[in-house]
Amino acid sequence: MDLLLFLLDLGVLYSIYAILAISVEIEYGELGIPNFAKSAMYALGAYSVGALATRIGVWLMGVTWQGEFKNTSWVYATLVSSNISRNPLLGIIIFVIPLIVALPIAAFLGLIASYPALRLREDYLGITLIAFSELVRVFARNYEPLLGGTFGAGVPNFLAFLPVQLRSLAFFAIAIGLLLLIWALYYRLTTSPFGRVLRAIRDNQVAAQSLGRDIVKIRAIVLVIGSMLAAIAGVLYAFYVGSVNPDDFTVMKTFIVVLMVVIGGKGSPMGPLAGAGVYIALDRSITFLKQQVSLPIDINYFSYILFGVLLISVIMWRPEGLIPEKPPLTVSGSTLEVREEQGSS
Amino acid sequence: MLEEIFLNGLIYSNLLALLSIGLSLTMLTSKVSNFAQGDFAVVGIYAAYTTSLLTRVTPYMLLPIAFLVGAAVAAGVYLLVFDKLRGKANLVTLMIVSIAIDIILRASTQIYADLLQSSLHVFGRGFIFNDIMYNVAGTRVSGVLIYSTVTTIFLLALLYVLLFKTKLGIAMRASIENPSLAETLGINVRKVFTISWGLSGGLAAVAGVFLPFRMPVNPDTGFAILLSIFAAATVGGMTSLAGSVLGAYILGFSETVFTFLLSSIGLSTAYRPALAFTAIILTLLVAPGGLSSLWNRKG
Repeated sequence: MDLLLFLLDLGVLYSIYAILAISVEIEYGELGIPNFAKSAMYALGAYSVGALATRIGVWLMGVTWQGEFKNTSWVYATLVSSNISRNPLLGIIIFVIPLIVALPIAAFLGLIASYPALRLREDYLGITLIAFSELVRVFARNYEPLLGGTFGAGVPNFLAFLPVQLRSLAFFAIAIGLLLLIWALYYRLTTSPFGRVLRAIRDNQVAAQSLGRDIVKIRAIVLVIGSMLAAIAGVLYAFYVGSVNPDDFTVMKTFIVVLMVVIGGKGSPMGPLAGAGVYIALDRSITFLKQQVSLPIDINYFSYILFGVLLISVIMWRPEGLIPEKPPLTVSGSTLEVREEQGSS
Repeated sequence: MLEEIFLNGLIYSNLLALLSIGLSLTMLTSKVSNFAQGDFAVVGIYAAYTTSLLTRVTPYMLLPIAFLVGAAVAAGVYLLVFDKLRGKANLVTLMIVSIAIDIILRASTQIYADLLQSSLHVFGRGFIFNDIMYNVAGTRVSGVLIYSTVTTIFLLALLYVLLFKTKLGIAMRASIENPSLAETLGINVRKVFTISWGLSGGLAAVAGVFLPFRMPVNPDTGFAILLSIFAAATVGGMTSLAGSVLGAYILGFSETVFTFLLSSIGLSTAYRPALAFTAIILTLLVAPGGLSSLWNRKG
């Protein structure tokens, strides 16, 4: 049973990271523009859960909220959870509404982020987006009525209507299901003509432009998709952890996801899946080691150094990553032969 | 009150000037937007702090040591990492690598701070330096104001002489204009780039030493001021050293005033980065060439 719970936990975290990695893969691996505000888009999903889930639950239950949000959100979250256990519909509403709210906002922010990208060099854009994501975090941290600031916000368990043993399994199924769906959609996108346009822009922007591709529009579309995917991951994360703390969403998170994509292989559809797996394996091993050996120094710092060195090593010695990008095969070999015959006749 | 704002602004601007000119220097030579620039300042802080603890000398006397340590770290980073990627990696990759360097340096400083704390039994984080007060014409003036201003002017003048009056400076400017052409003329581009990274790290480390005189510092301080460094360089035009210095003073003063305004209307000073952020966005959208485009049509 313990092993099963451990694997389910691993599976959920893996799905969340893999969705994030796919979102970076579309932006950075396919189009060549990393969105360094990734942690803010991820946070957005989590914040909308933190700010809305408990409030909606309390409102639907017809209870009036007493006291400040930062002090009472945990109490009301538990109250809502116990109500969900009798009323499954409430749980579904509480899961769906933050998602519906977060997606358009993320899309809008992605659109805004794509706007300066038209005029800025990549590094200027990078620092602007990093600054933006830090500002979002600083705001969430200091504006207590939204998410309780450093107190964090409590999140009800939207699966409380299920028996306790089934909850982890159900959450696992939802997370893996979403991951598979998103990956399948991404795979269709990357093997479609649109995917080829993205890589054409990445490899030679001027050439793609000269062939009539609207770079402005395509960048906007890609950043909108990427931001929405990150928000979905954020919603899952907040419900899984059961709380929202603004300090979870630092620039380090963005870096970790970029690291996954680089390790896995930029531009290759299996890349984000492999990269997220490698990261989870490393991260869990470090956590395991931390419990085994006691050092006078915080071992987290060593893991940061390790991740930094790993990224540089991959870029230096294996820039194509674990699973290198292959030339796309969107037209099968036999069709090509038929076409050639037709051409020659 | 006005006087206090002016003094704070001047000290902060001096610091930004040294940091942003270093940022521009490495950006001009090796095309790296260095996200670890703030960490070089932290390296300088810890170098001066450790030496000061061991020798009981005021950190002002240890500026040369901070310079050397910062220069060594920065030159090492260039030789070990960026030199190997020269001509092979694009802007985005170089930037991501520099973020990795930032993370490595920050975590290393954290470990160093822990070791310092356990071996010397002193504060490894959140420490400040004791300032010396001087009597100038009847008024008491803090040492950091005098030392940071004099040091900044001195170093900037020295950098000017180095770039425009020496052979090394000519080689450096040639490598900026056209690295491959410079290389065919027998200039050792690798050496020139290493020196420019060393200079950049040294200047940053010296700037860092002035910081603990004004506020408590920790290993994350460098990352916290990174945005202001980028903003100063961007307002100045990114590719112009003189512009960077000018941008640093504009940004340094406006950030100080902004922070004062924030606290006077009762908002948290944690929103301080909003100004640098707005400055970057406005500059890039309105006049991407920054200040230097005013006198340099090419930029």
